[in-house]
Amino acid sequence: MSSITVTGKVEKSGFGVGVWALVSESGETYELYNPPADLKKPLSKVTVAGKIRNDVMTVAMIGPVLEVTDYKI
Amino acid sequence: MKKLLLICLFIIGLGVALVNFKGLAAKGNYNSIIVNFREDIPSTVLSQQLETISQQYKQIPNLNSIFSINEHLYTLNGDEKLLKALQRSPLKQYVESIEPNYIYQAFEVPNDPDYSKQWNFRSINIERAWEETQGEGVTVAVIDTGVSKVPDLEQTGFVEGYDFVNDRIEATDDNGHGTHVAGTIAQSTNNNYGVAGIAYKAKIMPLKVLSSGGGGTITDIAEAIRFAADHGANVINMSLGGGGDTQVLKEAIDYAHNKGVIIVAAAGNSNQNSAAYPARYPHVISVSALDPTGKKAPYSNYGAGVDISAPGGSEEGKILQETIDPDTGNPVFTEFQGTSMAAPHVAGVAALIKASNEKLEPEEVLKVLKESSRQVKEDPFNHYGAGQLDAASAVQLALKGQITFKDFFRWLRDSGYLNPRFWIDGGVAALLPKVAMVLGSYIFAWILRNYFPFNWTWPLSTGLIFGSTGLFFLRGFYVFDLPQWPFRVMGSSLPELGNIIQGNSWFNPFFASVIIPFCLIALLLGHSQWRWFAIGTTLGVSVCLGVAAVTSPGVMWLGQDTLARCFLAVNAFLCIGLACLAMKGDERTA
Repeated sequence: MSSITVTGKVEKSGFGVGVWALVSESGETYELYNPPADLKKPLSKVTVAGKIRNDVMTVAMIGPVLEVTDYKI
Repeated sequence: MKKLLLICLFIIGLGVALVNFKGLAAKGNYNSIIVNFREDIPSTVLSQQLETISQQYKQIPNLNSIFSINEHLYTLNGDEKLLKALQRSPLKQYVESIEPNYIYQAFEVPNDPDYSKQWNFRSINIERAWEETQGEGVTVAVIDTGVSKVPDLEQTGFVEGYDFVNDRIEATDDNGHGTHVAGTIAQSTNNNYGVAGIAYKAKIMPLKVLSSGGGGTITDIAEAIRFAADHGANVINMSLGGGGDTQVLKEAIDYAHNKGVIIVAAAGNSNQNSAAYPARYPHVISVSALDPTGKKAPYSNYGAGVDISAPGGSEEGKILQETIDPDTGNPVFTEFQGTSMAAPHVAGVAALIKASNEKLEPEEVLKVLKESSRQVKEDPFNHYGAGQLDAASAVQLALKGQITFKDFFRWLRDSGYLNPRFWIDGGVAALLPKVAMVLGSYIFAWILRNYFPFNWTWPLSTGLIFGSTGLFFLRGFYVFDLPQWPFRVMGSSLPELGNIIQGNSWFNPFFASVIIPFCLIALLLGHSQWRWFAIGTTLGVSVCLGVAAVTSPGVMWLGQDTLARCFLAVNAFLCIGLACLAMKGDERTA
């Protein structure tokens, strides 16, 4: 599990019933894995620290799965 | 003079009746109405009128397909009453026509009221595939968020699955994704409710590995794959992906593959040049997504690892199935998009292929899927893999080499040979050789179908009859005060036409030869439908001459011995060669 810190915006991604995505400033999309309630809404800028879950697969398949350990809005 | 007029009217009437026989039999059923608006009316007027229809008649008009936008061609559900009401309404000044949307293949178009919204099924050519199979006897494992038995899955068969998230046998859905995916594969169809599914007589094995949030671990997924393989699944659908390469998942896939299970997975939704895991593993059929116009959907992965493409929808049009609302747990018809939706199209068609020919191994099923897909000529980025999924061609290819009763029965029915009169009056025209010619031309066409795949079409069947026997039962018709020769003519095959008017039983060598078939093919080869009439006729003539060479080889001026036999046999072979050459040109246009 690699740790990572990403800054970007949070937006809803429309696959299946929808998931929350973190789009980094460099344009990479991460799927937030079981995000806390604060991150389940559109946000223009947020810094998220977490782990990339290589052992998880999802229905959305929009990019690496990021499990949030800490965040700053 | 009066008599002549009577004869003409009678022949015209009979001719019209015969020509229209199939059309009238299939016509008459409709459950939707076509409203073709004038192309010159402004879009504001058009939307106003559409709004009026939905308000007044409580039916929402839909574009028939993406291609109907410019044509202003709309369809809406409705019966005769609504049709008449619309035709009488002020709407008529804005339209070119309001008419019944006749169902021309009443058996194959399902009665599910919202089937008209499933553009994705029409684009994979599903109706022609349903003529052969609906997936009977095949089990498809849906490894996903679980499957809930919503009303439009009531009539769908289920086998026991497992919930690996909560460790229990009942694998119901708490997200809505898995039920939607299962719906595309096997939504209850022809149940007068909701929408249709591709292999609706196949059984679903629900395997829940993803939580309500839509994610799950690779270990659960690997266990579910082994469970499916051990419990009789023929096909596995995985509309999921992500993560990295793991030995545990790779081994599970190899295990299932070695047990003959066909594994299908979604390529992924990050618009990147390579399929996600597990789609990119060997032995997994990786599916990219198409939008309603048949282009790659904007989100779909492409490139390395993509085997085939199928409808996944886009903002212009999504995939409609019944599933559950995750907030309430209640059934709801929802449109989703994604490679998640594309994969079950392929899994459903794989089930149809397996149902058509159970002997096919996973590699062979993949080969059938790829070879039958519609190739996209310019595809430098491998957006489409082998091409766009085509259910009808896939089933046809899977059936290749198998005599199917359905083929034969349909051919008999379409050709009028199931008419009881055939058997009663057939004696007039020496029944046994005629039956040999009918069967012979059918079997013959069937054998050739293995080398030049084509579809049974009306022109082909008509040609086969015209060439081999004609509607020979008509020869038994005698009507007072009318000459009998028109019946003899209609009851004759092409080779017999040269002798039948005179009532001679010996062939005229001009008619009983390759000359007329050759002219027919030369004339009609350029026409997409009528060329099949010419090919059918040529095949029919070859069988007629072949059978006659053995049974009754009388040919004018040549006698009825070796010379006549040789003449008929040589011409029969020339006809075969001619038909093969004509078929070679374009094998799938029928």
